[in-house]
Amino acid sequence: MAAARMPQLDSLFAALADPTRRAIIERLLAAGELSVGDVAAPFAISTPAISRHLQVLERAGLIERRIERQWRFVRVRADALAPVENWLSRQRRHWTAALDRLEALAAARTPRRRKS
Amino acid sequence: MSDAEANNAEANETTLRLERLIPSPPEILFALWTEPAQLLRWWAPEGYEPSVDALDTRPGGRWRTTLRRPDGSMLATSGVYRIVEPPRRLAFTWAWEDDSGARGHETEVVVDFEPIPGGTRLVLVQRRFESRQARDNHNAGWSSTFDRLTRIAG
Repeated sequence: MAAARMPQLDSLFAALADPTRRAIIERLLAAGELSVGDVAAPFAISTPAISRHLQVLERAGLIERRIERQWRFVRVRADALAPVENWLSRQRRHWTAALDRLEALAAARTPRRRKS
Repeated sequence: MSDAEANNAEANETTLRLERLIPSPPEILFALWTEPAQLLRWWAPEGYEPSVDALDTRPGGRWRTTLRRPDGSMLATSGVYRIVEPPRRLAFTWAWEDDSGARGHETEVVVDFEPIPGGTRLVLVQRRFESRQARDNHNAGWSSTFDRLTRIAG
């Protein structure tokens, strides 16, 4: 039951809480890898705004960039969700053990009833 | 109802859900969650010494518990109650704190105590959202994004 703070988890959830950024991720998942220009194409917002969204996604560990000659490409990182999965399994272990103890204690406090 | 328990664990990519059938009435279980002296008896794993720093079981009230690890270090969790409906429902925010007291990612926990013949169906759901607003606004989008992320991550 380690409890290290997980800033990466915070930034990851915050990054995905925005519909435009989720749409970017969806696009990248479908395409595999896109140039920054292609990422921006379907969105009715400015290129600087897209760049800011990409920065948030990159800082959260969700995407990575690659530069080839004058082109910049982005794609979803393969281990993007590892912090979430670690968090989930840790939290599950925590509650499962706690509910085991709760149940044992509740049983000790419940008058025996005849099976009907 | 037999002593056998149902311990179903299921989760999609955004929610942790645990369900138990417990041969005790909701009133007993609700008290175990909301009275400090009773909470202390099950909240901590063996070898961890728990203390209740706050347990203001009213909507908007704070709660905070600390566990002393076997090595003496402390581990705190805290949050705010959202729903307190004895003996049926309890909802609160939840976050681990780090050593400096900074709270980590905040989530929402909802515990339902549903009376059933012979006992209670306890359902614990923990949602990993920053806020109710974020959850309500974006619930539809989360699942599919996470499903697809998980597929490529796996």
